[in-house]
Amino acid sequence: MLWKKGITAFLVAALGVGSAAAAEILVGSDIPLTGSLARVGTSTHEGIQTAVEVFNQTNGKHTIKLITVDNESSPAKAIAGVEKMASQGVVAFTGGYGTNVVSPAAEAADKLGLPYVTTGVFSDSITEKGLKTYFRVINSDGYRKAILGLIESLDAKSVSIVYSAREATSGLAKDLQQSLQGTGYRVTMHEFDPAATDFKPIINKIKLNDRSELLVISGYENDYLNIIRAARVLKPPVKAIIGAWGIATAPMAKNHGEILNHTFGTSMVSYPPEFKTDEGKVFAQNFDKIFHKEPDYLAMFGYVQSMILFEAIARVLDQGALEPAKIVAELAKTDRETLIGRVKFNEKNDNQYFTQYMGQHQNGKIVIVWPQEKATAPMIYPGVPW
Amino acid sequence: MKVMLLRWAVVVLLAYFFVPWLFGANAYLMSLIVASLVIGGVALAWALLGNLGGMISFGHSAFFGVGAYVSALLAINADFPIWLAMVCGGIGALLVSVLMLPTLRLKGPYFAIAILAYAQIFRIIATEWRSLTNGVAGLSSIPSLPAVLWWESGSKISSYLIVVTLVFAFILVYRWVANSHYGLALRAMHESEDATRVVGVNSTLLKAAMLLLSACMTGMIGAFNAHYINFLEPDYAFGGVWIVIPIVAAIFGGYRTIWGPLVGAVVVYLVDQLLFKNIFPSGHQIILGIILVVMILFSPGGLLPLLTVRTRKRTC
Repeated sequence: MLWKKGITAFLVAALGVGSAAAAEILVGSDIPLTGSLARVGTSTHEGIQTAVEVFNQTNGKHTIKLITVDNESSPAKAIAGVEKMASQGVVAFTGGYGTNVVSPAAEAADKLGLPYVTTGVFSDSITEKGLKTYFRVINSDGYRKAILGLIESLDAKSVSIVYSAREATSGLAKDLQQSLQGTGYRVTMHEFDPAATDFKPIINKIKLNDRSELLVISGYENDYLNIIRAARVLKPPVKAIIGAWGIATAPMAKNHGEILNHTFGTSMVSYPPEFKTDEGKVFAQNFDKIFHKEPDYLAMFGYVQSMILFEAIARVLDQGALEPAKIVAELAKTDRETLIGRVKFNEKNDNQYFTQYMGQHQNGKIVIVWPQEKATAPMIYPGVPW
Repeated sequence: MKVMLLRWAVVVLLAYFFVPWLFGANAYLMSLIVASLVIGGVALAWALLGNLGGMISFGHSAFFGVGAYVSALLAINADFPIWLAMVCGGIGALLVSVLMLPTLRLKGPYFAIAILAYAQIFRIIATEWRSLTNGVAGLSSIPSLPAVLWWESGSKISSYLIVVTLVFAFILVYRWVANSHYGLALRAMHESEDATRVVGVNSTLLKAAMLLLSACMTGMIGAFNAHYINFLEPDYAFGGVWIVIPIVAAIFGGYRTIWGPLVGAVVVYLVDQLLFKNIFPSGHQIILGIILVVMILFSPGGLLPLLTVRTRKRTC
């Protein structure tokens, strides 16, 4: 049996399995740091690392040790990552990004009975599975509410929605269509293939047929830029352009501020970032200390999902023995204001209070313009990038 | 013959008893082994087409994706037993490969590119046929693999036993074809296709048979993976990863040998994930790339022929 022990010991060493110090609570992060989801995964992970730093500084009694596995944006490696970290003794996961990666990883965590908290999934499909240990802090409904709230605050009655055929973008576009039509707006829909780069035909239709007052785009970075470039050429008679996620971000303001000037988009933070709450200031200071740059909204999401998990772990520890089932129960009780608003989970472990804010590009900066109580500057309306 | 039986006995003993006994309790290691065998299965099917059929394919992801979708949809919508659904996945990929038969008129890079185009076509069909495939949203909650012996459904060991059985079945089929008179004719075709035609060999039929067989094998592995991961989406099911990594594994292990692609897949995947990834958490794939280049330069036949030559030299 000695040789079996020897082989196992070798593999244990190769796997990097080691015993942590008694005071440290191991938490896993199964996240894409390479592959197609690398950019979003890396930003989220920076927020997670900041949460570890802040929690360990402020809690005083308990220390979190983060173990990270890069799942390379691959479902099989995401499962392997969850199982690897479970064998290393993690008590919970602060999760990854992308439905295709999170879905199998969350199922693997659920089978192991370990909590899995994420801000990286828009699709409701995982929530609908009814996994007991899966918690989602953000959802597409929060984006719908924000865009709808902004539109209702504008003086307009007709909307053209241009949307990518991908699941998250088309789902958001259709939800918006339903909500807007229900409140008396005239809505026209224009779907495009995710690989499309020439949007002049669609913009021409909006200019000549739709003649809508608002242009809503549900897509990703390159889609926004290509659509707005086409609109700058054809100049449709819209009063405002409103994007969904990924348009009102620091990289977009830095690199494409002029093209995007006056466009709206979901954003949790202005650029340059301004944090008014104490927690926000602590987050920004620590983020700057670790990464020497300004945080974006994905980092804020990563921070919030991790912080509520760490706090749940701390509450369980304060009560007695640390058991995953107790962490799940404590997470379900979460109800507090965070950097991204109130977090309280419903019976499906979905955050029922998540609502995005709306920002506007204004001369190379991003200001928050909706909701009114979070606004950092008045909105410019009507306002288009040309 | 005795040596061969002895080798098989050792391999079966290792695969069915030693691996589950030693590593069964380590879910992480078992999931890596299963993932490596999935790649090994595709690598075997790809090498069969290349080695026996003489065709280099860049489109095996089409067979993988079709097999995965057929099996998942039959299990979800028609309550097919998983075993039967997986067989149907293989048959589905085989039927799809029939559509590719016109490409057999092409040779070399033209065949490779044409079959790559087919893979893209099937990815687009899976994306756009939303009523059937749920489009880009994909399929979730795909039923898990069945229980094997006393190991429960979807457990690591039962999944491992199923995939290892599939891969061994592929090796037996590959070996049977290679040693049959069809294999002799296929090898002769490599030397001169015109000459084999003159002596009455229907080369087109033989190449078609290899394409169908390779597609069926890949489809079954795709079906296995769908029930193992429990999730499918077009970009994943038809992704380039299902052809790039198996080709690397097959070339690394020795695609002219029967065991080479499988050995290559297991070695490449496990060494990459267990060793290189621990040293370089990001960008570890570059080491694999370097090793592959070195292997091609110094042992173009791959790892297995290299090991065989060294073992023979030591014996001498």
